[in-house]
Amino acid sequence: MDFNLSREHEMLRDMVKEFANSELAPRALELDNKGEFFWEQVKRSGQLGLIGVINSKEYGGTAMGHLARMIIIEEISRVYPPMGFFHQTGNLLMYAIETFGNDKHKKKYLPSLCKGEKVSAFALTEASGGSDAASMQTEATMNGDHYVINGRKCWITGVDPADVVGFVAKTGDKFSAFIVEKGTHGFEVTRREETIGLRSLPVNEFALTNCRLPKENLIGEEGRGLVCALTTIATMGRTGAAGVALGIARGCYEIALKFAKERVLYGKPIAALQAIQFMLADMNVEIEAAKWLCYSTAWQLDQGKTSRDLAVDIARCKLYAVDVANRCAYKAVDIMGAYGLSPEYRVIGLLRDALELGVAAGSQEVMKVTIGATITR
Amino acid sequence: MNNSGEIWVIGEQRSGRLEEVSLELLSKGAVLSQRMGVTLASVLLGDEVDEAARELVFHGAEKVYLLEDARLRYYQSEAYARLLAGVIKEHEPQIVLIGATEIGKELAPKVAAKLRTGLTAHCIDLYVGEVDAAPQLIHVVPGWGGNLVMHIICPQRRPQMVAVKPGVLPRAVRDKNKVGKVIKVKPDVRDEDFRRIDTVEVVEEPPQGKSLESADVVVCGGWGMNAMGDFSRVQELADILGGVAAGTRPAMDKGWVDEAQLIGQSGKTVSPGLFIGLGVSGAMHYTAGFMGSKVVLAVDRNPQAPIFQMADIGIVGDLREVLPCLIEELEKDRTPRRF
Amino acid sequence: MGLEILVCIKQVPHPDHFSEIRLDAGSGRIIREGIPAIINPLDRNALEEGLRVKERFSGRVTVISMGPPQAQKALEEALVMGGDRGVLLCDMAFGGADTLATANTLFYAIRKLGKFDLIYCGNETVDSGTAQVGPQLAELLDIPQVSGVWEVAFGDEKTLEVKRALEHGYMKVRLKLPALLCVTRDINKPRLPSVQSIMEVAQKEMIIWKAKDIGAPPESIGLEGSPTCAAGVYEHKAGRRREIMQGSIEEKVHRAVARLKELGAI
Repeated sequence: MDFNLSREHEMLRDMVKEFANSELAPRALELDNKGEFFWEQVKRSGQLGLIGVINSKEYGGTAMGHLARMIIIEEISRVYPPMGFFHQTGNLLMYAIETFGNDKHKKKYLPSLCKGEKVSAFALTEASGGSDAASMQTEATMNGDHYVINGRKCWITGVDPADVVGFVAKTGDKFSAFIVEKGTHGFEVTRREETIGLRSLPVNEFALTNCRLPKENLIGEEGRGLVCALTTIATMGRTGAAGVALGIARGCYEIALKFAKERVLYGKPIAALQAIQFMLADMNVEIEAAKWLCYSTAWQLDQGKTSRDLAVDIARCKLYAVDVANRCAYKAVDIMGAYGLSPEYRVIGLLRDALELGVAAGSQEVMKVTIGATITR
Repeated sequence: MNNSGEIWVIGEQRSGRLEEVSLELLSKGAVLSQRMGVTLASVLLGDEVDEAARELVFHGAEKVYLLEDARLRYYQSEAYARLLAGVIKEHEPQIVLIGATEIGKELAPKVAAKLRTGLTAHCIDLYVGEVDAAPQLIHVVPGWGGNLVMHIICPQRRPQMVAVKPGVLPRAVRDKNKVGKVIKVKPDVRDEDFRRIDTVEVVEEPPQGKSLESADVVVCGGWGMNAMGDFSRVQELADILGGVAAGTRPAMDKGWVDEAQLIGQSGKTVSPGLFIGLGVSGAMHYTAGFMGSKVVLAVDRNPQAPIFQMADIGIVGDLREVLPCLIEELEKDRTPRRF
Repeated sequence: MGLEILVCIKQVPHPDHFSEIRLDAGSGRIIREGIPAIINPLDRNALEEGLRVKERFSGRVTVISMGPPQAQKALEEALVMGGDRGVLLCDMAFGGADTLATANTLFYAIRKLGKFDLIYCGNETVDSGTAQVGPQLAELLDIPQVSGVWEVAFGDEKTLEVKRALEHGYMKVRLKLPALLCVTRDINKPRLPSVQSIMEVAQKEMIIWKAKDIGAPPESIGLEGSPTCAAGVYEHKAGRRREIMQGSIEEKVHRAVARLKELGAI
């Protein structure tokens, strides 16, 4: 078995690393404090071809694949997780359109999304539940050649800056996926939640009040909305969250390791103390394990396996990587003592960001439900 | 192989004023000429520069080959290289020393290539030594890491050419009673020399503030200054000691110093009375820039930093704690000293 | 129309790892194995300049390097930035070269590749930093050359006006093509490669030549073709005192200042 990344993937990693170090790192703290959406960085990412890695070249993507996406998200998140998370949520609708949408949708929306000139969001969760998607209340009623939609979605990442939003609503006793553009009458962003982490990526509530959408705005067939949503969330959302977690874990590890080698106490660097070495060793092992779970899953997706085939792999890598990220972040804060609590040293910010990952793209417990139910079938 | 030829220093003048490095090279040239028993000469190109030619004599040149022409007023790439190579071929000096100024760095390799001979850059010392039981001129060049140096030789081809950065060698002593011959050579300047390349304009901007090379005290910040977030303390320390602030490449990358204050292989070389390195790790390409300082004080938080091998006094500690303390200690006692 | 542009690059040790480099005690050569390597930073500026000229006037950018087999990676990085084809000059016979022998090697390869309108080099490398190869190569090719270039303006396609750095100020120099320019970091900001260019790199041509492929006479290349050579590596007798101050921060500072006064430094 050859565990080496291809030369192209290596070059991609080098490029994203340099992009992250030179263009994201210097602004990370400032952007986090301001809590503003990072439009400039998104455009740069689009220019470099980083956003549309799973979209076809015909529509402005680069089709480099899932492993490429994993590497991109990891390297960006190592330095600035909100942007890495944007590559997760911002890719959801792009995937849904690519996989379930028609040619018109693709031509209309994908090119500008790939370029980073426009951004998107994808909404499933409501007050009635995210894990319990089938209990949603948002309803779309057919009225001649258009639908009338009523309902509210909450805890959706990135709706405020989004130019176009995908969402799922009840159509009769089934569910359907729709596209709504910003500015559509009856579509209104009603709230921004205050979040402890990923601060520059808004988390919003929006309302659809007698919102009229033409039939063309259906993604795929009526009644196939949940398949669309769940496939999208599994293939893009969970893998993306795993990538962010991987990046955060590595970021914390590298910062803590460097600190431990330089911080002198009792006449030597604290890296010479076993307690510190044990903590770093634990981080090292877990990150490596998480990495292979994530990479092998992404690689298998690139081989053409579906998210159904890979349901366990996908759930597993998200479950484990996110736990590892939280543990590593906490250990890093611990290793760095008082410096670990100072935002300037980044690890406390990375810990806050890691906390947001548990509930992303399905909670950790839902991952276990997926795994447990599948293996016991 | 020619071992009886003269030792030449290529003089560089701008607007009729000699570059310091030419006078520094003459001091080394004099030492070598004494040791080897051969004549020390100089070459100067320009227009109406006889005063500069006389200065070369006052600083030790026994002979000055003076090539003057109105078209040579400013450095002209093809003309200078061709004429220099020509006069070297004619008189066959065995050693040619040239200053590694912005112009010298371009002119020297061109001439060396024309002559198909060797040219050593970054030379910090020259002396006659022995290699394989034969006398050789040793060109000492900074090596990698810590205190290492390389000995370069040019055993066969002549002349052997050596480029030395300004500020490395001591200046020759000026003695207006020295006598020497200024030999006017009518340079064969051709129109063809300016057809493909022509210096159109020279814009000199006088430096702001004290020049780095002439400072008694240099306070230099490196990568370690990152911890402090800005460079103000470096300037503060420099001010208290009546010195000049400088930085190594990482400091320039951060925008804290510009090219004029850059110390290191691709920057300036300084030899002040006191050099203070703050968070300067001591990696090779920076240390060559201050190796000649009389006293070196180093501050770094890494006890293993190579700079402590190259320092006289070392303080291991976090700059954020050491610097304010150092500044406070020096404030108590504010009597600037001349070296 | 289209210009033939050549960019000379060198693979160098990553500056962050300079302290790990060791010298071979005998030859004085750098032991590069195991040290991460990058394209010499100024060479990226040179390449960026070449790419911009190509984008402006149309043409082709060839990237060339003399180096060991791993230098191919640097050439690939250059192709990923946008170079059209790479040429690696790799042969034991090229080893041990000083700047003249290096320039000679490049000269013979260029002679085989054909005519170039513009050749770009980085002003100096971060390792040896002699800044000599560019001017020497131009001399061998008998084309005009300028070092320290930080601004380039095209008159017509055959004439350039460049600004080259002086210690305090600059010189304006006019040149006719074909010409060789050695550029500094002030000239531009090198681009990041895009995903598209990464995916296209496998299709680009990579030529690998040995000494016999370029017809370089053995006496003009490598150690044999080098007028200068290293006679050895030694400890520099700097005679530094290496006194490390002890105690608390306050004590260390106090003692340091006292010692500096004793030494007459302040």
